[in-house]
Amino acid sequence: MELRVTESSENELSIEIAGEDHTFMNVLKGALLEHEDVSAATYDVNPEQSGGQTEPILTIKTEGDVDPLEALEEGAAGVRTKTTAFREAFEAAV
Amino acid sequence: MMVPVRCFTCGNVVGEHWEEFDERANQGDEDPQKVLDELGVDRYCCRRMLVSHTDLVDVVSPYQ
Amino acid sequence: MSEEYDVEFVERGDREARFLVRGITPGFANGIRRAMVADVPTMAIDTVRFIENSSVMFDEQLALRLGLVPLTTPPEGEFVEDDTVTLSIDVEGPATAYSGDLVSSDSLVEPADENVPIIELKDGQRLEAEADARLERGKDHAKHQGGVAVGYRHLQRVEVVDDLPEFQEPESQIVRGVVEENGELVPTSEFDHDLSTRHPGKEIRLEDVPNAFVFHVETDGSFSVEELVTRAVDSIEARATELEDAVQL
Repeated sequence: MELRVTESSENELSIEIAGEDHTFMNVLKGALLEHEDVSAATYDVNPEQSGGQTEPILTIKTEGDVDPLEALEEGAAGVRTKTTAFREAFEAAV
Repeated sequence: MMVPVRCFTCGNVVGEHWEEFDERANQGDEDPQKVLDELGVDRYCCRRMLVSHTDLVDVVSPYQ
Repeated sequence: MSEEYDVEFVERGDREARFLVRGITPGFANGIRRAMVADVPTMAIDTVRFIENSSVMFDEQLALRLGLVPLTTPPEGEFVEDDTVTLSIDVEGPATAYSGDLVSSDSLVEPADENVPIIELKDGQRLEAEADARLERGKDHAKHQGGVAVGYRHLQRVEVVDDLPEFQEPESQIVRGVVEENGELVPTSEFDHDLSTRHPGKEIRLEDVPNAFVFHVETDGSFSVEELVTRAVDSIEARATELEDAVQL
């Protein structure tokens, strides 16, 4: 996973997450939107054949003086809580 | 020529059931529908793989 | 963020299962589905060295067939991506070479199905080959897909509202998947997917239960359904951890 910041300001961050696709990005976006201080989160991917930017670019907007990079870290942690909870629930049913 | 190992559409392994299917439905006189149901080949994408297949090894082997 | 999921099996077999998950967002459900199809690595033959092939098929054709044979995938952590296991096959005609004739150098990686015909050999024909199996993901080649026909549907709630008007024509009401009726889970195959046979002469209301999805998971024999689901979740979690670490630096 290669990260490259494409745009960055106080409340907004665009970051390229190389090697990922909808599988992870959509889950991550979902987790970010559940974050209290995130006002907007989205990602954009182009098809492989398009020839241009094909790695997903994640854009996060935050409220107040929250660093979007920090929100991203918490978003990733949010994904982890989801997966842990799911695994526990699944293993309990097995 | 030989049965496809997997279903082209869904990737289920169908080659596994070919010999039994051939024996019962093609050589024998059982109803192919019933045989497929019993073999657990449920989806129509997998069923057509077996129903429409013809072994051609015997046809081409003299020319080898 | 606290997450509460509830998993319940509806049908369960070694290679096929149906289970209900409550409290899951559509996005996360789709993430798990996609991970099961494309991100869980499985073993499959990737390179074949032919020592002798006098059969009616070309080397390439046989290599493709060998590649599609599902192999059992060792437990997580035993192998890393790109590790190889060598299998060999040696059959002399007149006979048919089956996937079960593959001899593995590692007991953890064996053909999952033994009766897949590889090639029918006539008198005097012979197939002798050595093959390397590799651990890779479904993204790279369909032969590495552990999950077959993996999907999910909304759980639907059935409610009997009223009797149908006396002179109304009976109409079939088709529904597929699993329905919830008075808190009970019923696979629709039990009533031939037609609600009008289950409740004749009744008016029925059908609605999606929010955030409840019924997964249908089938594997090619590489591992059990449970293994596939946990590995898919693990792969998402591994990426989240990686991202977290990368951002922290």
